[in-house]
Amino acid sequence: MAPKDYAAEKEKVKRFLQEFYRDGKLGKKEFPYRDQLVSLAHREQVALYIDLDDLGEEDPELVDAVCENAKRYGRLFADAVHELLPQYKEHEVVQKDVLDVYIEHRLMLEQRGRDTGETRGSQNQYPPELLRRFELYFKAPSGSKARVIRDVKADCIGKLVTVRGIVTRVTEVKPMMVVATYSCDQCGAETYQPIQAPTFMPLIMCPSQECQTNRSGGRLYLQSRGSKFIKFQELKMQEHSDQVPVGHLPRSISVAVHGENTRLAQPGDHVSITGVFLPLLRTGFRQIAQGLLSETYLEAHRIIKMNKSEEDEQGSGELTEEELRQITEEDFYDKLAASIAPEIYGHEDVKKALLLLLVGGVDRNPRGMKIRGNINICLMGDPGVAKSQLLSYIDRLAPRSQYTTGRGSSGVGLTAAVLRDPVTGELALEGGALVLADQGVCCIDEFDKMLESDRTAIHEVMEQQTISIAKAGVLATLNARCAILAAANPAYGRYNPKRSLEQNIQLPAALLSRFDLLWLIQDRPDRDNDLRLAQHITYVHQHSRQPPCGFQQLDMKLMRRYITMCKSKQPAVPEALSDYITAAYVEMRKEAWASKDTTYTSARTLLGILRLAGALARLRLVDVVEKEDINEAMRLMEMSKDSLIGDKGQQTRTQRVADVIFAAVRELAGGAGGRSVRYAEAEQRCVSKGFTPAQFQAALDEYEELNVWQVNQARTRITFV
Amino acid sequence: MPCVADWLNSPLGIVQGIFAQNGPNPDWEKKVTEYFREKLKENNATNWVPSLNDVPLHYLKPNSLVKFRCMVQDMFDPEFYMGVYETIDPNTKTRVLHFGKYRDVAECGEIDLNSSQMVTLERQTFYCVPVPGESSWVKEAYVSASQARVSPSTSYTPSRHKRSYEEDEDMELHPNKQKEQHMGSIGDTHGCGEPKRLETEASAGHQLISPNCSPPLDLNFPLPGEKGPACLVKVYESWDNFKVNDTLEVYGILSVDPVLSIMNNEERENSSSLLDPMECMDTVEEQRVHSPPASLVPRIHVILAQKLQHINPLLPACLNEEESKSFVSSFMLELSPVRAELLGFLTHALLGDSLAAEYLILHLISTVYARRDVLPLGKFSVNLSGCPRNSIFTEHIYRIIQQLVPASYRLQMTIENMNRSRFIPRKDYTANRLVSGVLQLASNTSLVIDETLLEQGQLDTTGVHNVTALGNLITWQKVDYDFSYHQMEFTCNINVLITSEGRSLLPSDCQVHLQPQIIPPNMEEYMNSLLPTVLLSMLNKFRIYLSLLRLLDYSISDEVTKAVEEDFVEMRKNDPESITADDLHRTLLVARFLSLSAGQTTLSRERWLRAKQLEALRKARLQQQKCVNGNEF
Repeated sequence: MAPKDYAAEKEKVKRFLQEFYRDGKLGKKEFPYRDQLVSLAHREQVALYIDLDDLGEEDPELVDAVCENAKRYGRLFADAVHELLPQYKEHEVVQKDVLDVYIEHRLMLEQRGRDTGETRGSQNQYPPELLRRFELYFKAPSGSKARVIRDVKADCIGKLVTVRGIVTRVTEVKPMMVVATYSCDQCGAETYQPIQAPTFMPLIMCPSQECQTNRSGGRLYLQSRGSKFIKFQELKMQEHSDQVPVGHLPRSISVAVHGENTRLAQPGDHVSITGVFLPLLRTGFRQIAQGLLSETYLEAHRIIKMNKSEEDEQGSGELTEEELRQITEEDFYDKLAASIAPEIYGHEDVKKALLLLLVGGVDRNPRGMKIRGNINICLMGDPGVAKSQLLSYIDRLAPRSQYTTGRGSSGVGLTAAVLRDPVTGELALEGGALVLADQGVCCIDEFDKMLESDRTAIHEVMEQQTISIAKAGVLATLNARCAILAAANPAYGRYNPKRSLEQNIQLPAALLSRFDLLWLIQDRPDRDNDLRLAQHITYVHQHSRQPPCGFQQLDMKLMRRYITMCKSKQPAVPEALSDYITAAYVEMRKEAWASKDTTYTSARTLLGILRLAGALARLRLVDVVEKEDINEAMRLMEMSKDSLIGDKGQQTRTQRVADVIFAAVRELAGGAGGRSVRYAEAEQRCVSKGFTPAQFQAALDEYEELNVWQVNQARTRITFV
Repeated sequence: MPCVADWLNSPLGIVQGIFAQNGPNPDWEKKVTEYFREKLKENNATNWVPSLNDVPLHYLKPNSLVKFRCMVQDMFDPEFYMGVYETIDPNTKTRVLHFGKYRDVAECGEIDLNSSQMVTLERQTFYCVPVPGESSWVKEAYVSASQARVSPSTSYTPSRHKRSYEEDEDMELHPNKQKEQHMGSIGDTHGCGEPKRLETEASAGHQLISPNCSPPLDLNFPLPGEKGPACLVKVYESWDNFKVNDTLEVYGILSVDPVLSIMNNEERENSSSLLDPMECMDTVEEQRVHSPPASLVPRIHVILAQKLQHINPLLPACLNEEESKSFVSSFMLELSPVRAELLGFLTHALLGDSLAAEYLILHLISTVYARRDVLPLGKFSVNLSGCPRNSIFTEHIYRIIQQLVPASYRLQMTIENMNRSRFIPRKDYTANRLVSGVLQLASNTSLVIDETLLEQGQLDTTGVHNVTALGNLITWQKVDYDFSYHQMEFTCNINVLITSEGRSLLPSDCQVHLQPQIIPPNMEEYMNSLLPTVLLSMLNKFRIYLSLLRLLDYSISDEVTKAVEEDFVEMRKNDPESITADDLHRTLLVARFLSLSAGQTTLSRERWLRAKQLEALRKARLQQQKCVNGNEF
């Protein structure tokens, strides 16, 4: 391979800087780099970022060359800019600091010196670094992938790499000498020493011609005023926890930051840093002692701070066709739900509800009123029915979540506490779990063990989605837009069927009504269920792995991305459906009135249905809520109520499914004032009550055989005989 | 053909030979490992290699081959080093090619940094500590097996050096030190291991109090009061296979070059220099931790490393080999008498309670054999409740367990202990290392938590965290290491036995209430008399029994599975309140370990019934206890 002609490369660079343009808004050509050169020339801008995407449009080969040999090309670009700058100077520059004045003086001096025709020694030449007042950085091409720190290996040395991680340590910003200027005590000549390495040997003897010939032995003294310093800072960056293979410890990398890039990151920030990976060479004794090792560091070109959710979104944008197809198969709703906590057997409806909780309904703000979209769920149940496991799974699955237990957290720990800052002595607010879970999920285990006074602290959060603080002179309202997932044991440790529902739950109605769904998970013996459970457990023990399922479980990451994608949709309820919903709500109220023992049905229930329906529409990635969504939402509501009264139902009235369906249809017909009902309407009613269409069909056939009703040929109407 | 002494004493010479033969051809590295692997395979060759575990550091020759049995405590960032480099003799201008592998310091001569022959390679450093909680009998067995001939080398300057100016005053404190050294050499010529071990302990203790670094260097052992050398292990290949907390046996070249420590001192003096901002890239603490004095923390350049399945010296290292199979099958023949003996012994220890002894055996052979998502399978933590409220009993129970298992630790659960000690390992970003905690233990370590010592008091934040960590450890067999910005989950495999008076406040897989049949008038005397009555050969059999059964495979046939399922459904029908999925899990586990403890690798119908019977007995006892104590739960 022939050595590269760097002079030719420099020409290319110059041409690019001068001629690169984009089509502007007004159809005019915009020259982004030319404009920046102008501001650089006038000292209005310090850092010049070269976007390698732009460069790629002109010359893709050059981009590869830059990425491979970034340090060299950095110098090349800087030289090119330096040479171009005088062309772009449009007016006199206001001198900004001492160094500007200093440089100007020297330039004037040089011009005068040139008249006398004096030749300058190489040491006396002004090094370009001294005169340069700009910094040049590269922005990595968008196509290149960010690396994991452990993948940055010896073969990356000298290349432009982008790594992601968390900043763990930041040093103070210190001045670093770039050019040392000396003056001689004998002849007064100035000597410059550009410094590239981290250490340098100061010059002592004056190398000027005068001193050399006279052998006067002039001593050199460092002039800090004439030397050039730049800001310098060091970072230590560590891998994200999810980038570390299981059982390994996260690795870290040192980053050297110069000039304008300093003070951009704090410890704890998630950052993505583009830079050149370089070896660090020691000199002198240190090198011998260091022996065979060479340390490495990353010379930062660009530092981007990102918060974690942004990073997740970046991943979610690229949900590929195949992945989408994998998700949006026929029964994707069941599949997604079953992928939640696959190690927990059964509880399909609870899992569905939890899926909807993750997706969430739509927030609405009609005329300043705030209607929350987050779905709150309370899981009640006997000990040992995997409530906590469900909670901890949701905690892991949700992109943003907090997990606390009721016993371990006080009201202040959930909301916010006023603390005195140990350093400044000022009062400061420190957010509790609910504030930290803003726009996420807050899981509260052992909800019933919480003190009553602490529990009231979250009433506001559950409806208004804010936290108001009035403590020690600090008045504030904090956002806490989180969905609450609570788990509680029944009042007597176990569900006691001999007592009433209220006695068993023992939570105030004000709190209960704020939960959209309330599930009672009971541990009831049931031959089929038990057998399946036993099979499940023995399978695990026999083969020490999960039994094969009818479907492929979805990966947690894929789910997370899909859920984020769902959240971007804002489905609305169409006008046509409002009547249907109203009717259904009125129906529910009536029922609640009739059977007094169920939970409280209020306007909140209606909102709950709307939220669930909205979440379902989101899950399908559509913009309009459909009738099916409403039905499913109502079915879930109904199932959750059933789970509460189910036990009682079994003991007191042993109604068969078919009988209940018959009663429902009968009621519908009676309500409509006639002897016949529309088939579709009846089916809908039954489905919304939590029956499957198959059950409805069976009931229909059964009663038709008994000659109670008739179904017409086209199966559109049911007529009572 | 080099003789034995050569590859033991100057392995670098052999590496040099192979390197010279093959030139800079990258194959030479493979040939080196191949050569040493062959050498170590020869009859008992591994016993000839001195072990850092039992030979004090200053007895070992620098640059000789050593072995080290250790646990990976921390992983440092990878290092880049010159794999092959060229030096120029300043006088003759001749160029010589060298290899940089297996050494810290370059050979003399001016290094040509721009040579085209130079190869940069990567290696990984692990900070290793001796296996935490290793029982003394394990150490002794290894020492007595060792045939390494080591003598305090008089030519080894660093140790003399160290003595001359750092420990003069110490000499007065340890007047017997000199004597010991003599004894050591005598002992060596006689091939007896005992004095050597004494020396190890003495010098280890000595190291801890030696004042040679201003604040004493924390060697970062997980357990308080641990002794032994910590070591920086440099791994050259397939380091991705090794994880934190893995138990390793490494064979490598010992490097204690004094330059390494001088560099350290030099750095400290220089650290005030302001002209060099790069100097401050690593903080002083970090340098202290990452390049500690070689006399305290030696370096080992690994030639061969392997993960250990177990650290029991009485068992062959690898069970898959042919010869070890015969060992297993011969031991299997006498399995049932051993089991009976062990059961009898433990019954005596548990004051005549055979049910508790049965469960203790099951507990001791339990191990996490698989993980299903987050749920670990095979963990069997036992809560031994009803222990007498004086620490004599629990202490002796621990002593007995210590005599039986290769690694164990007794955690005294006092309020003070909970509040003060660090359980969870934490990343220290200033020093850039993982500060160890009590719960950083190797696999299959027995952790005995003594709850009888718990008194009334207030747990502070650390205490609450520690209790939560213990709970997580028991339930999920994982420890969340604290990385200050986030937590990282590390799975573990630790057998937890909790001794308590009432029901433990920690979760456990099964609670066994102790019902003493004998109440000895003098507990101390009774418990003390137990161990001496067992013959050493029997004790060794117990040890083999417990370690071996852990490693056996196990399966359940389809028919038995069916029967078990039917059984469960039946039980649920009769008593839905008290039989849950957890019970099925537990009974299956009991059945598993019960079968294994009898040497059967499949579940039979009888064992299942026996497991159910055991569970029923245990539950009945708990029920009874509940009645006695009134509403205790």
